Amino acid sequence: MILEVLSAGLVITACLAIFLDEAIYSVVALAGTFIFTALLYWESNAPLVAVFQFAVGAGTLAILFLSGEMLSEKPLKKTRMQNLLIVVVAGALLSLLPIFLSISRPEASVASVSFGEALWDLRAGDVVLQGLVIMTVAMGVAIVLYEKRNGGK
Amino acid sequence: MDFVILSLVMLAIGVYGLLTKRHLLKVFVSVELIATAATLNFVMLAASTGIGVGEAFLVLAFSTDTAVSAVILALLVVVHKKYGVSDISELVKINEPKEEEGEVKA
Repeated sequence: MILEVLSAGLVITACLAIFLDEAIYSVVALAGTFIFTALLYWESNAPLVAVFQFAVGAGTLAILFLSGEMLSEKPLKKTRMQNLLIVVVAGALLSLLPIFLSISRPEASVASVSFGEALWDLRAGDVVLQGLVIMTVAMGVAIVLYEKRNGGK
Repeated sequence: MDFVILSLVMLAIGVYGLLTKRHLLKVFVSVELIATAATLNFVMLAASTGIGVGEAFLVLAFSTDTAVSAVILALLVVVHKKYGVSDISELVKINEPKEEEGEVKA
């Protein structure tokens, strides 16, 4: 039952994030989407991913609030309560689809592996490449800062 | 409860926003929703089958998503600073050649 409520909340906040006129309210609705997603992960026995989602979501939202305030102008007309209700009802109706419909899919044929094994044994190459990319970015930032300190000479 | 359909619904909402909304921040929100739909698929598949590969792939998905968000936000700020608009249709008008100039050249 709790998963159904969380998925309904997820779809409704996603609809609000798209349909609300003012950008800041849209960002607030997106925050709700991130929170519902993280709770859904937590309830589905994926606590590590939930924490990841919270961390990434918090960072994204902080920047979005700042840039949203800068980028958006006040809309001329205010959002009517009736339109808001229509969006919420549409979101609730859309959230009924995953609750009542289902897609048959084949059983997983891959043997069960733990998160650590999958990350280090199966995807060690990716992790090393990501490390290289992060190191390159850090070096780039360091060079830019060094050039800036020297006055661009 | 089918999480594949839930992720499909999220994807549909994101694509709808991407196609219909003109404000740059709304476009960004739509991209975030599409990314959330993708990660939801990974996690729910991993959680329902007990396979750690899904969660491991998710680390890559999160890092890619964050990088995409950073690039889009940087572009938004640059565009807003340079042109002073945050509407895609107005941006298209800025890049269009003016009719008067075309007439003079002709």
